[in-house]
Amino acid sequence: MAGLKTASGDYIDASWELSVAVEELGPEAEPLTLRVTGDVHIGGVMLQIVDKIKVKQNWSDHALWWEQKKLWLLKTNWTLDKYGLQADARLRYTPQHKPVRLQLPNRRMICVHASFSEPVFRAVAGICRVLSIRHAEELSLLRAPKEKDKKKRKGPVLGTEDEFDLSGVVLPASAEQQPFRGMPAHFSDSPATEACYRMLSVSWTGLTPEHVLKMPRPSNLVEKAQINSRWLSSSRSLMQQDVRENEQLWLRFKYYNFFDLEPKYDAVRITQLYEQARWAVLLEETESTEEEMMVFAALQYHINKLSLSADPTETAGEQGMDDLDSALSNLQVKLEGGTSTSDMLENLTTIPELKDYLRVFRPRKLTLKGYKQHWVVFKETTISYYKSREEALGEPVQQLNLKGCEVVPDVNISGQKFCIRLLVPSPEGMSEVYLRCEDEQQYASWMAGCRLAAKGRTMADSTYQSEVQNILSFLQLQRASPDAPVAPDAEAMGTQWLVSPRYQKKFKPKQLTPRILEAHQNVAQLSLTEAKMRFIQAWQSLPDFGISYFVVRFKGSRKDEILGIANNRLIRIDLAVGDVVKTWRYSNMRQWNVNWDIRQVAIEFDEHINVAFSSVSAGCNIVHEYIGGYIFLSTRSTDKGRGLDEELFYKLTGGHEAL
Amino acid sequence: MNAAGAGCAHCPGSGCLIRARSVLLAPAARRACSSPGGPASRGSSSKMEQTCDDIDEMFSNLLGEMDLLTQSLGVETVQPPSPKESNKEYNFTVGFKDLNESLSALEDNDLDALMADLVADLTEVEQKTVQAQKTSHYSQSEVTQPSTSVCAAASYDYKSNVPVTTTGRFEDDLPPPPPDPAFNLPLPPPPPEPLTQEELETQAKADKIKLALEKLKEAKVKKLVVKVHMNDNSTKSLMVDERQVARDVLDNLFEKTHCDCNVDWCLYEIYPELQIERFFEDHENVIEILSDWTRDSENKVLFLEKNEKYAVFKNPQNFYLANKGKNEGKEMNEKNKEFLLEESFCGTSVIVPELEGALYLKEDGKKSWKRRYFLLRASGIYYVPKGKTKTSRDLACFIQFENLNIYYGTQYKLKYKAPTDYCFVLKHPQIQKESQYIKYLCCDDQGTLQQWVTGIRIAKYGKTLYDNYKRAVQRASLASGWANLATVKPAVTAGSSLTGTVQANGQILQSIPPARLEAQKHTEMTKDKKPNDVNGCRSVQPTSQPQTYQNKRASIKPPPPQRRSSAVSSTPLQPAQPKRGSAVFTSDPVTFPPPPPEMAEDLPPPPPDFCEDPPDFVPPPPPTCSSSTEDLLPPPPPPPPSQASLSNKPLPVTKKVGPPPPKRQVNTERTEEPKSMGLPPSGGGSGQPDLMSDLMKALQKKRGNTS
Repeated sequence: MAGLKTASGDYIDASWELSVAVEELGPEAEPLTLRVTGDVHIGGVMLQIVDKIKVKQNWSDHALWWEQKKLWLLKTNWTLDKYGLQADARLRYTPQHKPVRLQLPNRRMICVHASFSEPVFRAVAGICRVLSIRHAEELSLLRAPKEKDKKKRKGPVLGTEDEFDLSGVVLPASAEQQPFRGMPAHFSDSPATEACYRMLSVSWTGLTPEHVLKMPRPSNLVEKAQINSRWLSSSRSLMQQDVRENEQLWLRFKYYNFFDLEPKYDAVRITQLYEQARWAVLLEETESTEEEMMVFAALQYHINKLSLSADPTETAGEQGMDDLDSALSNLQVKLEGGTSTSDMLENLTTIPELKDYLRVFRPRKLTLKGYKQHWVVFKETTISYYKSREEALGEPVQQLNLKGCEVVPDVNISGQKFCIRLLVPSPEGMSEVYLRCEDEQQYASWMAGCRLAAKGRTMADSTYQSEVQNILSFLQLQRASPDAPVAPDAEAMGTQWLVSPRYQKKFKPKQLTPRILEAHQNVAQLSLTEAKMRFIQAWQSLPDFGISYFVVRFKGSRKDEILGIANNRLIRIDLAVGDVVKTWRYSNMRQWNVNWDIRQVAIEFDEHINVAFSSVSAGCNIVHEYIGGYIFLSTRSTDKGRGLDEELFYKLTGGHEAL
Repeated sequence: MNAAGAGCAHCPGSGCLIRARSVLLAPAARRACSSPGGPASRGSSSKMEQTCDDIDEMFSNLLGEMDLLTQSLGVETVQPPSPKESNKEYNFTVGFKDLNESLSALEDNDLDALMADLVADLTEVEQKTVQAQKTSHYSQSEVTQPSTSVCAAASYDYKSNVPVTTTGRFEDDLPPPPPDPAFNLPLPPPPPEPLTQEELETQAKADKIKLALEKLKEAKVKKLVVKVHMNDNSTKSLMVDERQVARDVLDNLFEKTHCDCNVDWCLYEIYPELQIERFFEDHENVIEILSDWTRDSENKVLFLEKNEKYAVFKNPQNFYLANKGKNEGKEMNEKNKEFLLEESFCGTSVIVPELEGALYLKEDGKKSWKRRYFLLRASGIYYVPKGKTKTSRDLACFIQFENLNIYYGTQYKLKYKAPTDYCFVLKHPQIQKESQYIKYLCCDDQGTLQQWVTGIRIAKYGKTLYDNYKRAVQRASLASGWANLATVKPAVTAGSSLTGTVQANGQILQSIPPARLEAQKHTEMTKDKKPNDVNGCRSVQPTSQPQTYQNKRASIKPPPPQRRSSAVSSTPLQPAQPKRGSAVFTSDPVTFPPPPPEMAEDLPPPPPDFCEDPPDFVPPPPPTCSSSTEDLLPPPPPPPPSQASLSNKPLPVTKKVGPPPPKRQVNTERTEEPKSMGLPPSGGGSGQPDLMSDLMKALQKKRGNTS
C-alpha cells in the first residue's frame, strides 16, 4: 500500500497525493486526497475513494474523470502511470450516466439519463432505446441554441412548461423489448410514464398559430446552415464535449435516410419523424409550394383530429381492422335482415339517391343568367336536373356524369352561400356547373356525394357518412371566428396554425379553410399512421428535403458558398442566389481526407475530380461526420438481424482521435 | 332420329339464339343498357330441367356470341365492300357502339381468335364451378360427382362440338344440332337410382346456385372487342374484359403474335383528331381507357415497340443525372444503374427527377406559344411567374397530375405552329376534342421531351412504374428462356407420354394390333406436343399450365359419356333415357363429314390418354369408374374410339385457333396431321344462307390460311 512514512512524517516510498472531487459530498466539500503511487491501478483508486467516503450507496456507475485532459479513466486495470496521471491531475469521481433535458423532434421536453462516458453515438442509442425509437443511428444530439438567441422570442417556449421525466426508467436487460399493453414494457410502470409514451407516440394537438410564429425561422441558406454548427460529435462522449448535467440538448433526426419505417414497431419513431417533418415544413426549413402546403395542412388537420381520440396503445393495423369489422357486421346485418334472396339482392344493389330542389348555374360566355331552380336527382355517379319535380320522369334538362370530375367547394358561411362547383369532363372539354344548396346539411350530403362520384364511387360507399361528417366539421371550423379564444379542442382551433407563417399572412382564414378542405378530401380516409406516413413521404418528395447546409469556402474561391449535404450527393450552391452550381454523388466518390491542421476537407471523385473546401459555419469535423455518416448509412443491409458495424461508423465519421 | 333431337330442332334456331344474344349484349354493352341480363330465366321446378336450363343457357350464351360473329359475317357477304371499306378506318370498335357493326369489321382470323377466347372463358368458369363443387361436396362424392362431372363434360362437349356439329348440319341437312347436346346432355347422369332423391336434389340445387353465381359474376363483366393494329398494318381483334389491365392484354397479344416479348412492347393509343398519342401504362385498365373514347372516335390502339416506355429503367442516369455536371458520362455500369434505381424508386417515397427549364406553352385558344420557365415537382408542374425567383414559395402551380394523362403531340409544327415538333400534351382522359382544357407544351429537343414525359410519368405513377417494368422484364426473360427450352422440351414430353400410353394400352386395349398401336403413339405424340407448343409460344410456364390443363381436359372430357353409352348398350343396368340422350349425341358425330380414311385408322382409341390423365387434375373420373366405368374397362368396342376421337378432335381445332400453330419447333408434318384430322376437308360446300355454316366457313378459311 502506498504511503509508507518515516518517523518524521516524510514519505519514503514514491507515493504522492491524488485529489479527487466527489460530488456526493456536496459542492463545497474539499476534494478527497489519496496517497497513491504510480503503479496503482484505477480500480484500486476507486476502491480507496469509496472506502474514504464512507457513504453507503451504489457506486457501480461511478468512474473517474480527468478534468484537464477531458478523459474518462474507464480502464480499471490500467495504472496511473499508464494513464500518465501525475499529482497535478484533478480528478472527479462521478456517475457515468447523468440526466439531460432533451428537446424531442416534437418540441417537447423530456428528462432522461444519458451516458456521459460513452461516445455520443452510443449515448443516443441508449436514449433511443428508452424512447423505443429504432435505428438510433439516424438521430443525434445538438446543443440547444445559446441563451441570447432565446431571449429574442418572448413568451413561453413551447413544451417547456411540462417536462416529462423518464430518468427513473429502468430498461429490461434483454435487447428485445416486450410490448406490454400495447407499449414497450418499461413505459407501463406508472401513469406518468404512460403519459410520456402518449406524448411520444401521439402528436400533440394543442398547437396554436402563436407557437409557430414564435419559433425562430431560418430565412435564408446561411441561417439554415446555423443549426448544423451545433451537432455534437458522435465519436466523443458528452462529458468530453462539455455537456453538463441537466443541460438542454436537442434530439433530432440528423441523417435523412430513414431505414425500414415499419408502423408495427415504429410508433414513436414515425410520430417523431412526422413531427420533425411538420416543423420543418411549418418553419419553412424545407420549402414548399402553396399546393404542397395545403396538402401538408390537410394531413396535419387529419392527424390532429385522429390524435385527439387516439389511443397510443392501439397498434396501427387495428384501425383498419375496425373499419373492416364494422363493414362486415353491417353486411351481416343486411344479409340477415333480408327475408328472401331477392330482397337481399335489392338491398345490396340499391344505391341511395339524392333528390331535391337546388339552384343550378351554368356559367357561359355572354350570358348573365344566374342561378335557376331545378329539380336535381343524384343517382349513382350521375346528376340529372329537371325543370320541375313533375318532369322528373321525362328527359332531364341535362345529365352529368361526375366520374373524374373536379369538385370545388365555394362556400361563404357568413354569406350563407353553399355552392358546389363542378368541372365535369366530357369529350368536348370541361363543363362548369354550380350547384347551390340551401344549408349546411344539404350542402354536406350533396358535396360528399359529388366527391365520391368524382372518384367513381356511389353514395352506397361506406365512406359516404364519414365524408358528410368531415364536411360538416370543416364548415364548423370556418364558422369559428378567428378572434375567438383558442380552445385546446382542435375542432375550434381554426386552420391558421396548419400552414407556415408565410401562408398565414397570405391567406385569410376563410380563404384558407376551403383550400385545406379541398386537399383534405384526398386524405380523409387515411388512418392515423397512414396519414403520418403520407406526410413523411410528401415531405421527402420535396426538392429541398434532406439537404443539410453548410457555409463553406471552396479551395481557390474567394467567396463563401453553400455546401448542401444530402443522403446521396453533395451540392454546391450559390450563396446569394440559391442556385445549384454543381452536384457530386457519393457513388462517384473515391475517397475523402480531412486536413485537420488547416481544417480542410478534400474529396476525390471519379475521373480525377478533386474538391476541397474549408467549413466556415461549422467545425470541419461536423461536415466530415455528415458525409461519413451518410456513407455509413448506405452500407446498412436489409438484413434486420445484423447489428450495426459501430467500428465502421467511427472510422468513417470520427476525426483523427478516432483512428 | 329421335324425338329429343327433333323437338328442339327449331327452337334454338329462333328463340334460343335471340335470348343468347341478349345475354351477350348485356355484358358487352352494359354501358348502354344497364340491365344485368345474364341469369334471368331460372324458374323450372324439376332439377333435371333446371340443370338443363343452366346448360341451355350457358350454351345459348355461347351461341349468342357465335350468332353475332356469324351475323357479322353475313353482313360482310351481303354487302361486301362498302361497310368494309368504311370500317377500315374504324380501328377500334367498342361494344356499346354497335356490336354487329364492330364485328363486321373483324377479319376472319379474328373470329378464330375470338372463339378461342370465348371458349377459354367459359371453360374457365365451368372448371371453377366444378372444382368448387368437388371441394364442397366431398362427402357425397361417390354419387354426386358423376353427375357434376357429366355436367362439366357435357358443357365442354357442346363447346368443342359446336364447329363440328355445324358442319354436320349443313352436310346432312340435319336440324341444328347444338340444342341437342344442350338438352340431352343433362340426361346422361346415370346414377339417379343409387342416390336418394333428396340428396340429389340438394346437390343439384347447390350446383345450380354455384353455377348461377359464377355466371352472374361472369355476366357482369363488361367485355369489348378491341381491334389492335400491328406494326405490319395488319390488325388483330381480341376480347378484352373490364378486369384486364394493359399488361394482360399485352400478354394476350404475345401469345397471338410471335414477337420477342421484350419490355418495349406496348399498347399505344393514337388520337388522329388531336394528333396525340401515348402508350398505356401496364397497370392501366384498358376498358376504362377505351370507355372514354367517343362513339365515332377515330382513335386507335396499336401494338408496337416503344423504347421510351421503359427507357428510364434502362438508363436511369439519362433522367436522374443528366442535368448535373457535364463531366458525367452517359454510360453507367449496371451496378450503379441498379443502385440509382433502388435509390430513386425503392425508398419511402419515389424520387422524381429534378427537372426544370424553359418550355413553350401554347396559349389558350391562340396559336402563339409563350416561353416560360417550368419546374417539375412530385406535386405537379410549376412555373415561375414573371419577376419572381424560382424558390419554392414563389412558384405558381401550372397543373397537378390527378385526372390527367400525358401524350406526345405529333406534327404540331404544322398543326399549331409550334416552335418544334417535340411537344407533349396534358389532358383529362375524358376530353376527346379540342378544348381550352388541354395543355400543349413544346420542348427544344427530343431529349428534353423525353425527360419531361418520363419525369411526369414518374411523378404521376410513382413506384407502380417500376413494378410494371420489373414485371415486363420478368415476362421477357421467361419468353427468351422458353425459346431456348422449347426446342428440347417437346422431345422429352413426347417420350414420357409415349411410355404413358404404352402402359395404358397394356391395361386397356389388348386387342390393338401393333401397327395401330404405333399409329396411336404417333398421334399421341402429336397430340401431346400440342400443348407444349402452345406453351412454347405463350412461354409463361406458370400461367400457361392451367390453360393447358383446360385444353387437355376439354379434349379429354368429352368421351366418357359416349363410352358410357356404348358400354351401356351392353349393360342392361343403365336407364334408357341417358342411353338415348347420349345416343343422340353420338349419332351426331356419326353424321359428321366422313373423317378422312387415314385418320380413322390413325386414330387410336384415346382412352389410354383419358384414363391416364384425369387422376392428375380432374377429380371426377374415378367415381365415374366406380359406378359405370367398370363396364368400360373392357376393351372398348372399335366404334366408340373413333367417335370419341371425332368428338375429341374438334377441340384441338378450336383450341388451336387461338394461338396460331407454332411452326418453328415442330415438324410441319406432325402439326399438319391433327389439322387434317380435326378439320374434315369436306366442310367447304355450303350454299345455305345459314349462320352456322357461315361461321364454319370462316373457320375453314382461317385454317386454310394457316396450313
